[in-house]
Amino acid sequence: MELRFFIIRRLLLIIPTLIGLTIIVFVLMWSLPHTFLASAFINPKAPNRAQQIINAENALGLNQGIVLGYLHYLGNTFTGNWGYMTLSNPIKYSGTVLSGIGLFFPNTIQLVIFAAVLSILISIPLGTYIGARPNSLADHLGRIFSLSFYAIPVFVLAIVFQVIFGQGVIAGNPLGIFPISGTFTITSQIAISPPSWLISGVGGVVLSKPTHLIVFDALIAGDYSLASNAFMHLVLPVLVLTLSLLAGILRFLRASMVDAANSEYVKTARSKGVPEGKVIKLHMRRNALIPTVTVLGLLFASLLGGVVLIEDVFDYPGIGYLALSTILSGSIFGVLGTTFLFGIVLISANLLVDIAYAILDPRIRY
Amino acid sequence: MVQETVVRNEGQLQPKRHSRFENANSTFRLFLKNRLAMVGLVITVIYFAIAVLDSVYPQWLGVSNLSTALNFIPGHSANLALPTAPSFSGSWWFWLGTTYSRIPILPVVLGALRIDLAYTVLIVFVGMSVGVIVGSIAGYFGGIVDEIVMRVTDVFFSLPFFVFALAIVYVLGFSFTNVVLALMIIWWPTYARLSRGLALETKSLKYVEASRASGASNFRILVSHIIPNVLSPVYVQISLDLGSVIQLFAAIFFLVGSLGASAYPIEIGYMISTGESYLAQGIWWPVIIPSLFLLVFTVAVNLMGDGLRDVLDPKLRR
Amino acid sequence: MYSIQNLEDKESKEEAKEEDAYLKVTDLVTNFYTSRGIVKALDKISFSINKGEIFGMVGESGCGKSVTALSIMDLVPDPPGRVVSGKVEIDGFNIFSDLANIVRIRIKSQTDVKVKRNKRALKKHNFMLSKIRGKKAGMIFQEPSLSLNPVLRAGEQITENILIHNKKPIADSLINRANLSLDDLKHLVEEVQKNKENVRSILNEWCRSNALVDLETQINSIFRNYSDPAEIESEIVSLIKAGLTSVDKRSLIEARDYYSYIEKAENLQLSLYAAEEGSDRELISSIEKELEQLRLKEGTRYRFYSIKRIFTGRKVERVFKAEAERRAKEILSLVSLPDPERIMRSFPHELSGGMQQRVMIAIALASDPKLLIADEPTTALDVTTQAQILRLLRNLNKLVGASILFITHDLAVIAEMCHRVAVMYAGNIVEVGEVLEIFDSPKHPYTVGLLGAIPTTQAKTDAGVNMHTIPGSVPNLITPPSGCRFHPRCSFVMPVCSQSKPKLVELETGRKVACFLYSSEVDD
Ligand SMILES: Nc1ncnc2c1ncn2[C@@H]1O[C@H](COP(=O)(O)OP(=O)(O)OP(=O)(O)O)[C@@H](O)[C@H]1O
Ligand code: SF4
Ligand SMILES: [Mg+2]
Repeated sequence: MELRFFIIRRLLLIIPTLIGLTIIVFVLMWSLPHTFLASAFINPKAPNRAQQIINAENALGLNQGIVLGYLHYLGNTFTGNWGYMTLSNPIKYSGTVLSGIGLFFPNTIQLVIFAAVLSILISIPLGTYIGARPNSLADHLGRIFSLSFYAIPVFVLAIVFQVIFGQGVIAGNPLGIFPISGTFTITSQIAISPPSWLISGVGGVVLSKPTHLIVFDALIAGDYSLASNAFMHLVLPVLVLTLSLLAGILRFLRASMVDAANSEYVKTARSKGVPEGKVIKLHMRRNALIPTVTVLGLLFASLLGGVVLIEDVFDYPGIGYLALSTILSGSIFGVLGTTFLFGIVLISANLLVDIAYAILDPRIRY
Repeated sequence: MVQETVVRNEGQLQPKRHSRFENANSTFRLFLKNRLAMVGLVITVIYFAIAVLDSVYPQWLGVSNLSTALNFIPGHSANLALPTAPSFSGSWWFWLGTTYSRIPILPVVLGALRIDLAYTVLIVFVGMSVGVIVGSIAGYFGGIVDEIVMRVTDVFFSLPFFVFALAIVYVLGFSFTNVVLALMIIWWPTYARLSRGLALETKSLKYVEASRASGASNFRILVSHIIPNVLSPVYVQISLDLGSVIQLFAAIFFLVGSLGASAYPIEIGYMISTGESYLAQGIWWPVIIPSLFLLVFTVAVNLMGDGLRDVLDPKLRR
Repeated sequence: MYSIQNLEDKESKEEAKEEDAYLKVTDLVTNFYTSRGIVKALDKISFSINKGEIFGMVGESGCGKSVTALSIMDLVPDPPGRVVSGKVEIDGFNIFSDLANIVRIRIKSQTDVKVKRNKRALKKHNFMLSKIRGKKAGMIFQEPSLSLNPVLRAGEQITENILIHNKKPIADSLINRANLSLDDLKHLVEEVQKNKENVRSILNEWCRSNALVDLETQINSIFRNYSDPAEIESEIVSLIKAGLTSVDKRSLIEARDYYSYIEKAENLQLSLYAAEEGSDRELISSIEKELEQLRLKEGTRYRFYSIKRIFTGRKVERVFKAEAERRAKEILSLVSLPDPERIMRSFPHELSGGMQQRVMIAIALASDPKLLIADEPTTALDVTTQAQILRLLRNLNKLVGASILFITHDLAVIAEMCHRVAVMYAGNIVEVGEVLEIFDSPKHPYTVGLLGAIPTTQAKTDAGVNMHTIPGSVPNLITPPSGCRFHPRCSFVMPVCSQSKPKLVELETGRKVACFLYSSEVDD
């Protein structure tokens, strides 16, 4: 009932946020030399270059002042005209920004879904358990665990895991069973005659049908060996991402469990004779999840930073890797496009977080 | 102890109220009793001492900039030579081994701390000051000011800060200053949100209402009631943020290094990236040792922050 | 002759009182082990509350009233607090019978105390508590807005209590309703039609014979609200058979058998624990044997059921829940909340302070406990609401016959509400007695001060106002004054007062005072 209104209100609040995001990205763009912008916007190999540049200037509104320029930018952004990018390092790609993103984004989604689901599935029961037993042995271990994984730089974790568990990094290492780069092994057989559900993209990146998530597509297509191969490729990046996210959630959940344990309503629950297990799960955890969920948005923002670093270390063709490539290749519209995309991802994540918050906490659904 | 004095004929049964000084004093005493927080405090202080020492007395490490450091290194031209392992036999420079191109790790890491800490502190304090002022004003005045500040912070919260920092750095051009600028731009909204909420809470406290009723000006109330009340959770946040920012800072330079940029800043993340390729040969120290310096600092400020939160939150006091 | 008679009367009255005690607290000690030192919050306090009595407890802020209330239910926040020794008997069960085994407290220094818990003993203790809390005693706290769980609907919080303690009675009542034949009902309606004056007694008779007493009031109101026999019939049917259509009688019976087995086993367990406290080996072993047999005979059968319940028991549980909700609504109207339907669906923040406190009372009452512990239930409310809540509590005391431990620092409220009162000072009970007697002739210097210096009947009206006439302030309980804790503030102080602690002795029937002015007995 009221929840519906909350969601509508929250959806409306996306509009100013989106405007803010576009303004910021636009300002980044506008602050660069306009001649450079115009020539970067188009396919460098296109014929009739001079005319193309003039077209680009018009499309971007470069000569029409900052306000119209912004409106042009808005129009381009929402009609999908995100410009052109030519990448050379480390990804080799040439094409429109949007189709490039379409190529790399699914891999990141796959990574983040696995990491997010895994860390939530582990952290909630674990956090409940240790949060309900402050200062016990389990609590101390849990705190050491979460503080250390919170404090280890994610890129260090990534390179260390890569060395310890990476296939063929150290000769004869029995632990080295996980592939260390890419999303799956392109065997010679796949290279010669790719199955119909694999659409070969540009620059060695492969898009799969129908979900674009390779592990699931391989499962759907019944190619279990490819599915397991792709899954093995995911293990290390997902593990690193999960550990860092897990540590963050665990810290907050534990702290809020301890807060909840000191609350009056828990006393009330005990005074009713509610069994301890139910006091912990229903009364303490339900309340402790509320502050935890509010920090999930922040954690997710830092998770996206982790995605960039991890994709860099594991040469994983996702949008983090793409973002890096656009910077290294000096492709301005690639940089702006990926930044905007990251912003959209975060806005959506924050939306979900707020809805979860409203579901958990009846007090804010006014 | 404090309340034991029996005051006769005072006509009041309420226990004597602690003065602010006594309160701060007892808070500090409680903090001192929290062993983990003390460990965190001591480590943090040592880190900052090293950084300060290196700034005021550069000869101590002698590596204030790497080009001079490079000149000092015997066999510097042998770039392809492998790093040497930690060894206590020679000069203290080599106690923790060397990294890429035989740069000695110990003095360079200590030198890098100076830069990392200086910029981290700068970022956090500028972010904090802007955030606290903006947030307190928004929370105190409410209405349209509040709404605008909330929407602006909303925008910043929807910026993936790492990617955004990279983008800013790309547009402005790569340099320390620009990285710092980018992180400052990103960092203030956290404080604005935090202090806004606290200001909102403080505003409705009885004594603030009383002082408003007695005609105190808005500025006075802000400065003497709202901001002081906002600050204690902010201290906790600062403490935790020192860890986050130093990591972010290092991460950006790690990327710069691992992507093959050819600048040679003395920075911990960058140092880690120079050692990355040796790991597979079992040469762990170029990566692990600088990482440990980072990790220990992050753990220390977090312990300190947690300890601070425990003593500042009267609910958890015991 | 007359005097002897009188004396005998008194004696028998006294005996009855002893037996009638529903709550008996003996030498209860509760400490808080804080980083500043050990707070000796309760220093061997003893009192008892009789069945149906409203027992007041007054004292200045910080004297340990809340700690007393919490200690009775072992709800003292731990850490830092612990009940250290003493007995709390509720309805004959001492919940702290095994206290020495539950926690071992090693005091290294005043600020460094290690508490070790024994898991086994703790399990037994928790079992005892689960049978006491909510079921035999309910609790009402000072701040209703903080004491209700903000994320659960009021209804959920009440039904939770009902479902924890009343599965078996609910099952019984459901089965009785399922058993009811429609012919029986028709018969009832016809009879009432014929004999309109005697609706009440007919209904009462009928409900009794069909074991539907818990629905009597609602059926009665149906008769009052409807006139058409067919309508009445259908209303009653929908009341009685509500929710029952979705579940067959067999699974209801199965559930009932299961819960009555559980109840039987738990009761045996409880009496076993009670017996273990004494030294009657024979009794213990006979109960043990009985329990063993019960487990052998029935337990195996129900081991299955508890698994099966997870898969097929949903429907039954839903019917149980519906019935619990019906009962919750009844309780909500008992605490005079209008529109129980809406309240059930509300979250705490949607209710006013007075409504929240009524919901809190409803929660405490949900399983029909015979003791209510109310810790300043009106302090957080505005004046008119305060009066309403007080009236409600008084009515409930008469209506459901629950004893109330009523904690307040408002003497006027005590005068209005309570039968007897205990005066607390710095972790001690200094005086106990009938309210009127205490107000008329306070004995303990602290009580005298509290009531306004001179013991006159006038004190009653001036009470509350005169709370601030005692010089000095409440002592710090980490280093309490030696001997009588009141001695630094007492105007009658004698040398002995700072050396030894006066014992709470009975001066006359039902009147106890702890002061050397009245008795030289020393508490060790
Ligand atoms: N969690 C705690 N930690 C330490 N000491 C405590 C704690 N709770 C209560 N105490 C101490 O126990 C003593 C009794 O407190 P209690 O709350 O029972 O007072 P009260 O009589 O209920 O006062 P009020 O009228 O203000 O409610 C106080 O001296 C207090 O300092
Ligand atoms: S025992 Fe002594 S100090 Fe205590 S109340 Fe009685 S006279 Fe006063
Ligand atoms: Mg109290």
